[in-house]
Amino acid sequence: MATPIRAPRINNNDDEVKVLAFDVQPGTLVKSGQIVGQIETDKAVLDVESPADGYVLGLLAKPDDVVKVGSILLWLGESPDEPMPEAPDEPKAGARALGETTAKARLLLSKHGLRADAIQPIDGRITVEAIEKHLAARGGSQSAVNRTMAPDRSPEPAPDVPGVAVSLSKEEKGMAATVLWHRDQAVAGYVEIEYDLAPWAEYAKRLQDEKGWMMSPLLSLMAWRLTQAVAKNPRLNATLLNGQRYEYATINLGFTIQAGEALYLAVVRDAGQMDEPTFVNALGDLQRRAAGHKLREAETSGATIGFSSMERWKVTRHIPILPPQTAFMVAHAAGRDGKGILGASYDHRILNGAQVVGALRHLARPATN
Amino acid sequence: MTLTKESLIAAIKAKIVDIAAQTGDDASELEPDDIIPATGLIDSTGLLDLLAWYEKTYDIPLSQEELTIDNLGSLTRMAEFVLRRKSLP
Repeated sequence: MATPIRAPRINNNDDEVKVLAFDVQPGTLVKSGQIVGQIETDKAVLDVESPADGYVLGLLAKPDDVVKVGSILLWLGESPDEPMPEAPDEPKAGARALGETTAKARLLLSKHGLRADAIQPIDGRITVEAIEKHLAARGGSQSAVNRTMAPDRSPEPAPDVPGVAVSLSKEEKGMAATVLWHRDQAVAGYVEIEYDLAPWAEYAKRLQDEKGWMMSPLLSLMAWRLTQAVAKNPRLNATLLNGQRYEYATINLGFTIQAGEALYLAVVRDAGQMDEPTFVNALGDLQRRAAGHKLREAETSGATIGFSSMERWKVTRHIPILPPQTAFMVAHAAGRDGKGILGASYDHRILNGAQVVGALRHLARPATN
Repeated sequence: MTLTKESLIAAIKAKIVDIAAQTGDDASELEPDDIIPATGLIDSTGLLDLLAWYEKTYDIPLSQEELTIDNLGSLTRMAEFVLRRKSLP
C-alpha cells in the first residue's frame, strides 16, 4: 500500500510552503528518516524526512511550487513498479505554473536578482539557457540594470531637488549590483584582528629583492595566503543557496583594484591550484591590465572569495562589501606603529565570527617567517 | 616627435609627479637615477598606473617578467628601455 509524504508545517502562521528541492526521484529506495527534499517559508528552511522505508513512486510537486501544508509531496510504495494512487487528497494551492528549475539556473537567477516566474521555460524547465535567453532579449545594458535592482523593492521616489540623470558606467553598475546583493541577500558581519606588520613586510621585501621585482608583492602574497586558508576550510569558499551551503569546487579570488575612477574586482581563477610564484604573477598581470582598463569580462566575474586593501589611501580600517555569492572578504588596511588591522566581512548565514577569526589568524603571518 | 633619453625622462617624471600628487606626495625632486619604488613617492597602485601609461604611451607591451628594477627601476632605466625596445639610439 502506498504511503504519502506530506508537506509539513514550519510555522503556525504559514499555511503554505515553497518546495525548494527533492533529493530523490521516482524509483529511489528511501529509508525511514532519510531526507527526501527541502521546503521553506519566508522564515525558515526545513528538510523533509521520509516516515517509512519504500520506493518513490512519483513526485506531486516541483521545485518552486507553493503548496498547502499537509498536501502530498510524493508517494512511497513497497515496490518500484507499484502504481501511484491517482487522486491526491487535495490539490496544490497556489502552485505556480513553473517548470522545474535546475540548480545552476537557481544560482543564475539569484545572481541576476531574477524571479523564476519571469523566465519562459524551455521544454518545461527553467535552465541556464532559458535565463540567458531572457537576459539577451532584454539587452546587455538592460540586464545589467536589472542586476542592480533589488528584488521586491519599490523604486525610489524622484528627488524633489532638480538634477540630471547620468547613466552608470559598466563598472559602476557592477558596483551597484554588488552593494545591493550585500544588502538584500547576505547577512553581513565584520570582525578584525590586530597583527604585526614586520613579518609580512620582511617576507615581501626579501622576495622582491631576490627577484628584482619592480612592484612589492606584499598584497599578492597575502592574497595567496588567503587562498591557502580557504583551502583548509571550504565553508569560507561558499554561499547560501536555497537554504543550503553551496561550497564552490574552485577558489576564485576576487581582488579589488582601483584604476582611475573605475573599481574592478579582478578574479584569479583556480587560485587554490597555484603555487605562490604563479599566483603572484597571475595577480600582477591582472592588476596591470586593470590599470590599463584591459580586463576581459571573464576576469571580473565568478569570485568566490575576496581581498580588498585601502592601504593606498592610508585608511586604517574599512568594512568591505561582499561580492555577490561570496561569504568572506578580507579587508587589508594601512598600519600604524608596527601594527595593522586585518578585518573581514562575512556572510553570517553560513559563517560565524570564530571561523572568520581563525582564517584571519592564519593570514596574519606569512607561511615562512 | 623624436624620442630622446632626455625627453623620455622628462615625460615620465611628469607622469610620476602627477600620480604622486593623487596621494598627496610631491615627486618634483625625483632624480633620474633614483630607484622609484624605493623613494616611496608612489605606491604599488601608483606604479601600476605608471606602467599602464608607459605601455600605452610608448606602445611597448610589457610581460610580467620584464617588470624588474633592472629594466624599469629609475627614470633613466625606463627611458633607456623605451629606446632599446624601439631600437633607437
